[in-house]
Amino acid sequence: MKFIASKKLSDNPTLRAVIVWMLLLLMLAMVLSLGAKEIEYGLTPQTWVSTVMGNPDEFIDPMLFSDLLLSIHTDLFGLIITFILIASLYVRTLRSMKSKIIVFSALLIALLLYPLGLLGSSLIGAMGIITALSAFIVFHTLIIILCFDLLLSLSRKRL
Amino acid sequence: MNQKLLTFLALGFGALIILQALLGGWLFIHNIGITPDEIKTYYADKSLHGVLEVLVPHTLFITISLMAFLHFLSFIDTIEQKTKTYFLHLLFSLFLLDQLTPIGIILGIESFTYLKILFFVGFEVVLGWVWIITFFASIKKN
Repeated sequence: MKFIASKKLSDNPTLRAVIVWMLLLLMLAMVLSLGAKEIEYGLTPQTWVSTVMGNPDEFIDPMLFSDLLLSIHTDLFGLIITFILIASLYVRTLRSMKSKIIVFSALLIALLLYPLGLLGSSLIGAMGIITALSAFIVFHTLIIILCFDLLLSLSRKRL
Repeated sequence: MNQKLLTFLALGFGALIILQALLGGWLFIHNIGITPDEIKTYYADKSLHGVLEVLVPHTLFITISLMAFLHFLSFIDTIEQKTKTYFLHLLFSLFLLDQLTPIGIILGIESFTYLKILFFVGFEVVLGWVWIITFFASIKKN
C-alpha cells in the first residue's frame, strides 16, 4: 500500500482524502460493532455471562459452541485488519516511542484476550467472558481514540 | 517490467473489486428485490440487530477494499487532482449513505427505500466509472 511507503501523506491530496475517509468509516464501523455486540450480549457483565453460558433461572439456553466459534472467527478477522491499518498509520505519527509501544501493547493484549477469554470460558467460567468482552470494549475504544488522533495529525499536516 | 506487472496486478485487483460489487448487486436483487415495495417488505421483518449484523462487516471490509482500490488514483495523471478528490468524496459518501439507509427503513421512513435504491445504484455506477478511468490511464501510461 502506497500510504505505508509515502514519506508524508499530507503532501498527497488523493491519499490524504482516502485515509481521512477510511479513518471516519473505521470509526463508524467500531461504533456500530460495539452497538451490535451490546444488542447481542447485553449491557452488563451478568447479561454477557447469561448469553454465552445460559441461565436456567431465566430459561436462557447456552450459546452453541459452533456459533461462538464463528462469531470469534469473523470478529477477529476484521479486528486484526483494523489493527494493522491503524498501527501502520500510527507508527508514523510524532508521538513518543514509549507511548506507541504502550498503545500497541494494549491493543494486542485486548485482541488476544477477546478470543482466548471466550474460548476459555468453558474452563474458567464467567471470568473468561467478562475478560473477553471487556477486552473487546477496550480495543474498540482505543481504536476510536487512535482514529481521532490520526485525523488530528492529518489536519495539522503532521502525518 | 516491474511497472507493467504492477499495473497488471492493480487492474486485476480493480476488476475483482468490480466483480465483487456486481455480485453484491446481484445478491441484493436476488434476496431483496429492486422495487421500493420489495425493499420495504424485506426490511420490515428485520430488527436493528439484524441490520447491524450486515452493516458492521460491510462497513469494515468495503472501507478497506475501497481504500486499497482508490489509492491507485494517486498514480493517475489523466485526470485533474480536483476530479480525483471529487470522485473519492462521491464514492465514499454514496457508500456511507447506502449502508445507513436501512436504519431509516426499519424506523418506518418510507422515502429511505427510494434513497436506498438511488445510493446503491449510484455507488455501483461510480465504482465502475473509477475503474474505467484507472483502466484507460494505465493503457495510456504503458
